[in-house]
Amino acid sequence: MPEVLTPAQQSTFTVALIGNPNVGKTTIFNRLTGLRQKVGNYPGVTVDKRFANVKIGEQEATILDLPGTYSIYPNSEDEVIVHRVLNGLDQGNRPDFVLAVVDMSSMERGLFLITQIMDLGLPMAIVLNMEDTAEEQGIKVKTHALYRSLGVPIIQSNARSNKGIDGILDLIGQKMFEKPQSFLNIEDLLPHELSSAVQEKFGLENSYQAYQLIRFHQSEPLIDHNDKLWLEHQLSKVEYDIKKTQLEETQQRYAGIQQVLSSAIEKTDIQRKRLTDKLDSVFLHKIGGYGIFIGILLVIFQAVFAWSAMPMDLIDGFFATLSAAVANLLPAGVLTDLITEGIIPGIGGVVIFIPQIALLFAFLGILEDTGYMSRVVFLMDRIMRPFGLNGKSVVPLISGIACAIPGIMATRNIGNWKDRLITIMVTPLMSCSARLPVYVILIGIAVPESYVGPFNLQAIALLGMYLLGIIAVLFTSWILKLALKFKEKSYLMVEMPLYRLPRWKDVLITMYSKSKTFVFAAGKVILTISVILWVLASYGPSSVREESIAKVEVPAENAAQEDLDLYESQLASAELESSYIGIMGKFIEPTIRPLGYDWKIGIALITSFAAREVFVSTIATLYSVGSDVEDELTIQQKLESEVNPETGEKVFNLATAFSLIVFYAFAMQCMSTLAVVYRETKGWKWPVIQTVYMTALAYVSAWVVYQILS
Amino acid sequence: MSTADQLEQGKMAVIQQIMPSELTLHLMEMGFLPGKRISLLQRAPLKDPLAFKLENTVIALRKAEAQLIQVTLEN
Repeated sequence: MPEVLTPAQQSTFTVALIGNPNVGKTTIFNRLTGLRQKVGNYPGVTVDKRFANVKIGEQEATILDLPGTYSIYPNSEDEVIVHRVLNGLDQGNRPDFVLAVVDMSSMERGLFLITQIMDLGLPMAIVLNMEDTAEEQGIKVKTHALYRSLGVPIIQSNARSNKGIDGILDLIGQKMFEKPQSFLNIEDLLPHELSSAVQEKFGLENSYQAYQLIRFHQSEPLIDHNDKLWLEHQLSKVEYDIKKTQLEETQQRYAGIQQVLSSAIEKTDIQRKRLTDKLDSVFLHKIGGYGIFIGILLVIFQAVFAWSAMPMDLIDGFFATLSAAVANLLPAGVLTDLITEGIIPGIGGVVIFIPQIALLFAFLGILEDTGYMSRVVFLMDRIMRPFGLNGKSVVPLISGIACAIPGIMATRNIGNWKDRLITIMVTPLMSCSARLPVYVILIGIAVPESYVGPFNLQAIALLGMYLLGIIAVLFTSWILKLALKFKEKSYLMVEMPLYRLPRWKDVLITMYSKSKTFVFAAGKVILTISVILWVLASYGPSSVREESIAKVEVPAENAAQEDLDLYESQLASAELESSYIGIMGKFIEPTIRPLGYDWKIGIALITSFAAREVFVSTIATLYSVGSDVEDELTIQQKLESEVNPETGEKVFNLATAFSLIVFYAFAMQCMSTLAVVYRETKGWKWPVIQTVYMTALAYVSAWVVYQILS
Repeated sequence: MSTADQLEQGKMAVIQQIMPSELTLHLMEMGFLPGKRISLLQRAPLKDPLAFKLENTVIALRKAEAQLIQVTLEN
C-alpha cells in the first residue's frame, strides 16, 4: 500500500482545482501555492496527487490540483481520479469546495465539465481564465449574464500575467463558494424508482450522484460486493440502457449550455490568420517539421550532456571526499566502513543523476509549456504506430538516451494504458548514458582504432550501439503489441494548444518537483540495494577469506612504493574474490561460461545491477588495476593483457568483448529503473517481467554473438 | 455526406452526426457536436493523424477517429 495522504485531516478545508486540459489550471495552482506543493499518491493508481497547504489570513486551505479533463466521466487513468475525488470515493471525502477553471475562448467545452459538477451539488466557484486569447479571437464573456444563469460565483483572471490571483486567494479565504442549483434534470433520463432507491440506500444528496454510482459501480473497488449485487438487482428491475442515457445527457447538456452562452457571449468574427497557424505551417511541415524536431533534439542532448558533466563530476568528487573525510573522522570499524563504503556512495549514486534529470525535465517542461510537445506527438504518431507505440511515446524514448528514469516518468501523459505500458517496458533498451563508460572500454578492446575513410571505426561502433538500442526498442514493442491482450482500443485525441512563450517559473517548479520525486522515490530502493551489495562484497565466510588472503605475497619491509601499491591492490582483489559476492560470481560461472565470461566478469555483472557504470570500478578492483579507476586507458590495457591461468588464452578476446557489449546493451542492470517502473506501474509484476525479458534477451544475444565470433 | 477524414484542407464543413462507437462520447466531450463548424487544418506528413480546427481549438485525431465524424460541406 502506497503512502496515503489525507489533506482533509490536515487542515480546515479542501479546495479541488478542476478544468479542461490547457486552460492554465496548473499555472493558477503554481501561482497560488509556489513551492509548497507536495506530491502524494492516490491509492491504487499511478497518478500523482498534487496538493499544497496554503494559509490565507486566518484560514488554512488544502488546494488539490486535479488532472485536466473534459468530463467527469473518465476516459483515462488521470480522469478516473477526477471522477473518484468528486464522488467522494477518494478516502471517502468529497472536497469541501470546487474551483473550476475555464478557458474564455472555449467556454462551451469548459461549461460542459462545470455543469456536471453543478449537478453533483458541490459548492463551487468559476475562474474565467485566458482573457487575452479570448480577446484576440473576438470573444467577450458577459460575466454578469453568466452568473445570473449559473448562480455560481465567477472571477476573471489571466494567470500568465498574474492577474486575478489575489482575487482567487480572497475568494478561497472567504469561502465564497456557492452550492449551485442542478443544471440538468437527470430525473428526466433516469427511472425515478431507481434513482430514489439508490439515493436512499447510499445516503446520497441528489439523483445525479445516484446516477454516477449506477453508471460506474462495476469498476469501483470501494463499493463492496453485496452493494454491487444490490445495484445490479435494482437495475434489472427497470428497463434501462445506461449508455444511451449518457449520450442523451451529453446532448441535452450541450443544448442547455448553448442556450446559456447565447446571451452570455459576444463574438466578433476575426479573419486574421493566427500566429499559431503560421507557426504550425513551419513546425508541421512534411520535411522541415522533422528537420526542426531533430535539430531540437540535438540541442537538448548536447545541453544535457555538456551542462551536466561538470555538476556530475563535482557531485562525484564531493561524495568521494566526503567518504574519505568521514573515514578519517570516525574510528575505524564496521560501522564506519558501512557509512563510507555503503551508505555515502549509495546516496551519491542517486544524487549523481540529478543534474541530467533536472535538465531533461526543464527542457521537456519548456517543450510542453510552449505547446510544441503536442506537435511532436502529431508528427510521430503514424511512424510509431506499427510498433504498438503512440506519438506520445516519443518523448519518453528520447529521454531514455540520457537516462531511462525521467523517460519512464514522462510516460504519464500517455492516456492509453497499453501504449503507456509498452513504452515503459521498452524505454530501458534505449542506450542510456550509464552504458557509455562500459561501451568505451569494451569497444576499445574489441575494435581496432583505425579509420574507414574519414570515420573512426570505434566511433562507428559506438554509434552502432545507439542504433542497436533503437532497433531493440522497436522490435520489442512490436512483440509486446502482439503479446499483450488489452480490451482497450488505441486511439489518439490530442488538443494542440496555442504556441506560447515558456513561463520560466512554471518550468522551474516542474523541474524541482519532478527531481524531488525521483530522489525520494527511487532513492530509497537504490540506497537499500547499495548497502546490500556492499555487505555482500565486504564479507565472506572466514575460512575462504583467510585462505585467499594468505595467498597474496606480503612485500618485504623495505619494499619500493610500487610493490606496496601492488600488494594493496592484490589484497583488495583477494578480498573481493573471497567475499559472498565473489562466491556468487563463481556460482554463476557455469551459466555465463557459454557467453565467454569467467567468474570475475560474473562478479562485475552482479555488482552492475546497482548501476551499469559500476562495471568499470568492479573490473578495476578485480584485476588489481589499482586505485586510479578514472583512467580508462589503464583498465583497458590491463584487461587486454589478462590471460586465463588454465588455458593461457586471453580473457578479453574479441568474442568475449563483443558478447559483453551486447549483454550490457540489453540487460536490465539498473535498480533505479526498476524502482521507477515499480512506482509507475504500482506493483512488482511489470518490473519483474521487464527484468526477465531483458535478461533473457541479453543472454541469448550475447550467446549468439560469442558463438559466432569464437 | 462524407466523413471528416475526407475533407479538403481549408474547406469549412458542418458536423452532422457522430457515428456510434466506443469513442462517440469522448469526441462529443471534446466538442465534436452536430451543428459545429469544422475544417481540416493539417494532415501529418504521413497523411495521418489529422489536425482539425473546431471553434477556437485545434484537435488532432487519427483517421480512424475522424471517420466517425459525418460532415457536409458548407457552401
